[in-house]
Amino acid sequence: MSVLIEGKNLSKSFGGLTAVKEVDFHLSEGEIVGLIGPNGAGKTTLFNLITGIFPPDTGTLSFRGESLLERKPFEICRLGIGRTFQIVRPFLKMTCLENVLVGIIGRGEKGQGKGEKHEEAREILQVIGLAAHEQRLSKDLTLIEKKRLEMARALATKPRVILLDEVLAGLNPSEIQQALELIERIRSQFRITLFWIEHVMGAIMKASDRVVVLDQGRKIKEGKPQDVVTDPGVIEAYLGEENA
Amino acid sequence: MKHREKWKRVDGPARIFVLILSLVVWNEIMDGKKTVFLILLLILAIFPPFVLSQYWLHVMIISLFYVMMASSWNLLAGFTGQVSFAHAAFSGVGAYLSGMLAVFLGLSPWLGIAAGTLGAAILGLGLGFLCIRMGGIYLSLTTLGFSEILRIVITNEDHWTRGTMGLQIPGLFAAYSKTSYYFAFLFFAVMMLVFIYWLIRSEWGVTFRAVLNDEIAASASGINTIRVRILAFTLTSAMAGLAGGLYGHYLMLITPDIPSLGQMFLVLAMAVIGGMGSFAGPIIGSFILEFLSEYIRTWGEYHVLLYGLIALAMARFAPEGIMGLWANKRRNP
Repeated sequence: MSVLIEGKNLSKSFGGLTAVKEVDFHLSEGEIVGLIGPNGAGKTTLFNLITGIFPPDTGTLSFRGESLLERKPFEICRLGIGRTFQIVRPFLKMTCLENVLVGIIGRGEKGQGKGEKHEEAREILQVIGLAAHEQRLSKDLTLIEKKRLEMARALATKPRVILLDEVLAGLNPSEIQQALELIERIRSQFRITLFWIEHVMGAIMKASDRVVVLDQGRKIKEGKPQDVVTDPGVIEAYLGEENA
Repeated sequence: MKHREKWKRVDGPARIFVLILSLVVWNEIMDGKKTVFLILLLILAIFPPFVLSQYWLHVMIISLFYVMMASSWNLLAGFTGQVSFAHAAFSGVGAYLSGMLAVFLGLSPWLGIAAGTLGAAILGLGLGFLCIRMGGIYLSLTTLGFSEILRIVITNEDHWTRGTMGLQIPGLFAAYSKTSYYFAFLFFAVMMLVFIYWLIRSEWGVTFRAVLNDEIAASASGINTIRVRILAFTLTSAMAGLAGGLYGHYLMLITPDIPSLGQMFLVLAMAVIGGMGSFAGPIIGSFILEFLSEYIRTWGEYHVLLYGLIALAMARFAPEGIMGLWANKRRNP
């Protein structure tokens, strides 16, 4: 398996607060890698570094050998890294179809007509299970539908990797089940590598090939899900007294 | 015959109002298509010079100027979310550049307007570039500053601009005729509206709105948000420059009132009251407010205050303006 994204010695502070400290990680093609850690561990900051929302203070980041530093978010997206947001950010005053269209237009490819783009957007909505809501404004969707729409928009950019930021948070057990099926389909059907932040431990244990644990900005453990949950350091940092 | 006389006693705006209202009602009853309605409206637009007095024809011409101003400002503020206060300033750039080229170099007004449009576009590009990293209130304040700087420069450089006394510039046509001006303004307004309509329904429109809705999400979806914002700034500045150039050569006396903030707020009120982010909103807003202005002319500058209050109330209670109210009514009658 070839390495897709690789980060070395990444650090980022905001004023006196160190959000990410000397983190090394990599993603290989076809993997599902979970990113866990208590609140404030720096998980979303790591995502923001990868997608170019802000640059790291130190360290290197590369995608298939090409450096991601000095690249703007839209360029990183066009290279093949899509994402969703912890607090959902669909384009609220636009229809579902238009939301997905933005992702398609964002690829910046020439030669595809307006009709073809609409057709493709409809297909993606179909896959993601939102076909019936094509003409609805995304602000009128439920939370899980908004999360699905964000995934649809990310898929529309034809990514090699999707970074999912807490897609399961706020969903009920049956919705979590649906979302997990969708994630598995994204991997098998679209052959997309996944890097996901999640607090729902059961889900991350079941669906991840590998888990990376952050605590206070540092990577404290990395390995197979079952090894990670039994690690005393992880239990202390992440699961707390309640579960220890 | 009696019928005719009665019709003649009705003043200008009431005639237009009756005609448009009957068209709208007819369209509603017949459940007509938009295209049919638009074609009828265009045919109707040929008549004003033949049925209106010179005074109301003047009001129509000014309304068309505001249609161009409010629609292009709406493209910037209502579609990409950049609430610029420099739009009137850019119309001033168009008016003064074109006017001064005509006065000092004897350039034809038509070429002057083209130069004014280009000049406004270049300045718009520069200001847009300056505002890349700004959003919301910061962008508004920067453009407000630019607008005031430009007005003060025009006021003070009176050996070039004759300051507040105003610069006399030639008209567009050899023989002065309001009918010619009306058709010239109508032509440019319709062209501009067709362009805006095409733009907001093209892929650009989708990306414009994506940037308006959420810049970070748009850039994470592969949209070059900086390019979108600068493009919108440059295009709309050019439109304001064009409108300003035409306006200047119609008035034939240009003063620092053209690039003033009073003018800016009038344009803003027209777009907000009509409905920001909709295509028809600013058009409707322009006509309503310009015609209303004629009735409250005696209030002087207070009419801007009144419009400001109405715009404020609309922004609070009906943020999508008249068009939004209408759309709501159609959705849940």
